Amino acid sequence: MKPYEQIQAIYLHTPFCVQKCLYCDFASYACRDASVMERYTDAVCKEIASGGAVKLPVNPNATIYFGGGTPSTLPVECIAKLVDALKKNKYWQEPAEATIEVNPGTADLAKLKAFRELGFDRISFGVQSLNDTELKTIGRIHTAEEALQAIAWAEEAGFTRINADLIYGLPGQTMESLRKTLEQLVETGIEHISVYGLIVEEGTPLATLINEGKLILPDEDTAADMYELVQNFLKEQGFERYEISNYAKNGQYSKHNLVYWKYEPYAAFGAAACGFDGASRFTANEVVADYLSQTQEAVIYNEENLSNEELLGEFMFMGLRKTSGANLREARERLGIDVMERFASEMEPFFQKEMLRYDSEQELLFLTERGMELGNLIFEIFVTI
Amino acid sequence: MDQSKIRNFSIIAHIDHGKSTLADRLIEHTGTLTKREMEEQILDSMDLERERGITIKAQAVRSMYKARNGEEYMLNFIDTPGHVDFTYEVSRALAACEGALLVIDSTQGIEAQTLANVYLALDNDLEIIPVVNKIDLPSADPDHVKREVEDVIGIDASDAVLCSAKTGIGIEDVLEAIVAKVPAPTGDETKPLKALVFDSKFDAYKGVVLYVRVIDGSLRKGMKIRMMATGAEFEVTEVGYFKPGLVNVDSLEVGQVGFFAASIKNVKDARVGDTVTDANNPAPAPLPGYRKATPMVFCGLYPVENSEYDNLRDALEKLQLNDASLVFEPETSTALGFGFRCGFLGLLHMDVIKERLEREYGLTLITTAPNVIYEVFRTNGDVEMVDNPSNFPDPTVIDHVEEPFVNATIIVPKDYVGAVMELSQEKRGEYENMTYLDESRVMIHYALPLSEIIYDYFDRLKSTTRGYASLDYELCGYRDSNLVKVDILLNGDPVDALSAIVHREKAQVRGRQLVEKLRSLIPRQMFEIPVQAAIGNKVIARENVRAMRKDVLAKCYGGDISRKRKLLEKQKEGKKRMKQVGSVELPQEAFMAILKMD
Repeated sequence: MKPYEQIQAIYLHTPFCVQKCLYCDFASYACRDASVMERYTDAVCKEIASGGAVKLPVNPNATIYFGGGTPSTLPVECIAKLVDALKKNKYWQEPAEATIEVNPGTADLAKLKAFRELGFDRISFGVQSLNDTELKTIGRIHTAEEALQAIAWAEEAGFTRINADLIYGLPGQTMESLRKTLEQLVETGIEHISVYGLIVEEGTPLATLINEGKLILPDEDTAADMYELVQNFLKEQGFERYEISNYAKNGQYSKHNLVYWKYEPYAAFGAAACGFDGASRFTANEVVADYLSQTQEAVIYNEENLSNEELLGEFMFMGLRKTSGANLREARERLGIDVMERFASEMEPFFQKEMLRYDSEQELLFLTERGMELGNLIFEIFVTI
Repeated sequence: MDQSKIRNFSIIAHIDHGKSTLADRLIEHTGTLTKREMEEQILDSMDLERERGITIKAQAVRSMYKARNGEEYMLNFIDTPGHVDFTYEVSRALAACEGALLVIDSTQGIEAQTLANVYLALDNDLEIIPVVNKIDLPSADPDHVKREVEDVIGIDASDAVLCSAKTGIGIEDVLEAIVAKVPAPTGDETKPLKALVFDSKFDAYKGVVLYVRVIDGSLRKGMKIRMMATGAEFEVTEVGYFKPGLVNVDSLEVGQVGFFAASIKNVKDARVGDTVTDANNPAPAPLPGYRKATPMVFCGLYPVENSEYDNLRDALEKLQLNDASLVFEPETSTALGFGFRCGFLGLLHMDVIKERLEREYGLTLITTAPNVIYEVFRTNGDVEMVDNPSNFPDPTVIDHVEEPFVNATIIVPKDYVGAVMELSQEKRGEYENMTYLDESRVMIHYALPLSEIIYDYFDRLKSTTRGYASLDYELCGYRDSNLVKVDILLNGDPVDALSAIVHREKAQVRGRQLVEKLRSLIPRQMFEIPVQAAIGNKVIARENVRAMRKDVLAKCYGGDISRKRKLLEKQKEGKKRMKQVGSVELPQEAFMAILKMD
């Protein structure tokens, strides 16, 4: 069986946060009501038992990812119930990796130990910055010190695989503050860092504040300087950039996220969670109340059937995000499209400018470092309009 | 109907002085349309006309009115285009009338356009009836306006009609004044047919529909007619009048206004101003005043997608069926590929055509900056008309160049005289004279290069006078000018479509402004793009569009792939509207940059 004919990853969504960050446009709601969380947990367990939308055989080593929102807002008993449901229904067998996202503001040693005991072997912390002013500006609930403490507790709890998310281009951020954040973070010894440029999404409170001139973003050039700082600094520190925004030491890649970038099938459970069977995408209702009532009967998924062209476009722009490149042989086998032939003329200028590179033996197409900086220009080649 | 009961009139007004509203009221009051049939401002029927609040094509309506004296009259109202671009069309519509209502906003007074049209009406010997509108407004000052009419135009305004087209006050007085004062037609029904064409439009079923005023004789269905200017002959298939929809009748009699169709395929054969006569019994001479409309403003129209070239040609041909003043011929630009050089009566005409091409024909177009037509005298004695800056000859072979000038009339409160003169001087204007209309308003005459009017004269005039100035102008011939061609180079390569002809003294400043503007309009691309302005081989200004440093989706995981794909699709779609010139992608606005400089 080909890897793309099996569920390779399982995602479970928790749409709750202690408080919504100002830049966030994900499906999450500020909620501290334990009874709602319990009802939600039961609903997700029900969905898991029903088999969800993606009807493919499950790879016994499929990765597990508890994301959000903030899964760590859920009481430990709820997490335990969810893990149990996944195990009972053969989604959680011998996962190659089991990650849980944790907001440093919700962490304590006992909780992290409990996660470890439940079988999670990887933690992803939303650190974002180690500058308290910056954290406050974007509405994070924790301080820099709490973030560093959380990482220390995770290590004490027995986690060896820890990720921290960072954002650059924050309002008020400077090259100096970013450098300091990076230095402090690397000092903790964690082996995985994700760094994202801030995206101001329409309709978020952050967008309003910026439009009203109450917050000012670093200009385009400073943001680009920050991006370069991140590249150079992490490289010096022995991190390998294995995806546009992801860096790992000692090969500690996120196996779960690699499933997305390799465009392999994944199952998903929970409100707003999105599963993919290799041809169609299924998204559950993101309104928690609707999701709760639906699970009484059967979850109704918003189904998006992708055309072959759309599949190819996504396969390419996801695949090219990895430094290991997009596998054109697989594109041909899966989708019947010879990428080198079909897009030859559009790709040509990018080969000339050394933004694209092709390994004809392995049939792998790569973005060069410069290509990654202007990735969208290349991704656009493969999407259809 | 007896000619003595016919009244043919039009309405003259400055923009926004209430012409369309008054026309609506007259039609309503005479019961030509029931209230239910009345759409607001029914006369401006084209979408664009309504949006812009102006009349582009003339219209005509026949109403029957029972006057206070008990007699019934046939009132033919001929609407005129309300913009300086269409002065010739206005003059022909006026020539079809015996009288005109001069509508003046009682809160504003006479404006430049009012005057220009009054003079046109006087040239055509029309009886002018002053109508003071908007008297319901608190700031109305009808006596002042009447005095102004007497002082400035020199016609008696003592029995001017006061009305409010909006509220309906005085509408019947307007109708009575038309009956009493507009002379009845005095044509001879026994003479051979002579009818004046004052407009035409293309109808997919009928062919060209000609709007005519019968001067002598009569026009009947089935008769063979001849267009006296073109000599073309046709058989009349339909005759009728406007209500304002078409109503068929057997004939149009002497003095009447209406339409006819004769299976004419192209408006070129039915030009405004031409005389229609009986082919079997022709009139000895046509009506005076006919001329072919000549385009004054030119620009290049190019499809963004080269594959749309044929569609653009088809669309232009279709528009030309309805608009004989639109001219176009194929041209090639090294930067833009295949397109057309198009000639228009003026800027508004250009905008209207451009908008119709995009709206009605779904084309995505690049328009080059408009320019006038230059008369270039070569050192070898040859003279040529240049309608495209990129065809402007090398300075070494030019003896001298002439450009079109206009006589501009500006009316402005006296406090702004200094500002207007300063601006006009800066725009290379030649002062002619100035008269006080009353103690507070002044009329100034300047000869100005038409190219400056096209460039930004009107906008600047409006802003320096806080909107108080009104402007009208007419072409007054060609004058010697010291002009040079400024070329723009992107990445070291000249882009012909961005070349501009400017006065030598301003070349330096314009060149610098232009490259600065282009730098801000051209999006950052993969590499740095030098933008240069040059005269001949000499670079006079330079800016760089710096290379784009970063453009990549930061985050992409399982849940938002669709959204990210749509984002990329949208970005790609946006770029489709840009034109690839060499290795540089140019947005449409770049080609109009020269018009958008401060």
